[in-house]
Amino acid sequence: MDDELSQLEAELKRLRPAAPTRDFLARIECELSTPSAAPVAAPVVRRPAPLWWLWAAVLPAAAALAVIGTVAVRHRLPSVAKAATASPTLATVAPSPDTPPTSRESAAAFKPVAAENVLYAAQDEGLVTLDDGTPARRERLNYVDTITWKNPRTNALVRWTVPREEVRVVPVKFQ
Amino acid sequence: MEDASPDDTWKKWFQLYGPKLLLCARQWTRSVADAEDVVQEAFVRFWRHQRTLPGEPMALLVTSVRRAAFDLARRETRRTAREDRAMADADDHVPIFDAAMDGDERRDAIEAALRRLPIEQREVLVLKIWGELTFDEIARQLDIPPNTAASRHRYALAALRRELSAADCHG
Repeated sequence: MDDELSQLEAELKRLRPAAPTRDFLARIECELSTPSAAPVAAPVVRRPAPLWWLWAAVLPAAAALAVIGTVAVRHRLPSVAKAATASPTLATVAPSPDTPPTSRESAAAFKPVAAENVLYAAQDEGLVTLDDGTPARRERLNYVDTITWKNPRTNALVRWTVPREEVRVVPVKFQ
Repeated sequence: MEDASPDDTWKKWFQLYGPKLLLCARQWTRSVADAEDVVQEAFVRFWRHQRTLPGEPMALLVTSVRRAAFDLARRETRRTAREDRAMADADDHVPIFDAAMDGDERRDAIEAALRRLPIEQREVLVLKIWGELTFDEIARQLDIPPNTAASRHRYALAALRRELSAADCHG
């Protein structure tokens, strides 16, 4: 760098950035005096977390599981019945979308901010006949579910990704 | 640091770093008010949770400010172009620097020249001169190679020199 540029750089360094206004300092003081655990400690105007997103993703999955459970119990389809009995165990092990997979103490600081499920395989297993003779179509769907929690105070992210297989048995009506 | 009351401590600390952080934040936000919001968010988080972390606090704070600025920009995408222009016009009158010994005319000329720099050059210049970051730290902040950061700094200084020489010539 030539001398002229070095001189200019030195001149710029002598300039002091404008000091914060008193009003701004008062805002920071006010916020620092608020207990940090309080959720109202958010410093700037924040819009509510887009929880509808989460529900939009999770509710269809829950509904599908409920339908499968109902069909399996009613028709006692062996393979699905087995899956249905296995699912409560899975549900107790897997964290619920509202509860981040961390300790209970820090869990309160995390909020679910996003959820997505990606369908990566779908297989039509064709027609099956249920025990009572009802014809049905069986489909096997494979998803990867990803749910993200965020701690707004520290910007820390927790992301939970799990594969999920869904078997749908849809009764078929012939006109 | 431990001798002073917590209140005095943060004020002293903020007197030193606050103006620099605000200047950095103004490079990535659309108004002074937005810059204050993101600095407030970053500083309060730093003061409560991160000030005991090892490392240079300014680099950590600049990262935090930049992320907060981008988060804010994403949240505020619905703001209209007309509102943006109005805010930018209003902010043109908010001085970037405190009055210097050399006089207001020179300071005004430098401010005007700075505002006309391309954003890529201006952010590197601000981070280097007033943020006091190294080229490596700037490169990490902006996700560019250190050599690119160094050349942008040089281009920015050269452009400023041209602008200021032209201003001197025109009186």
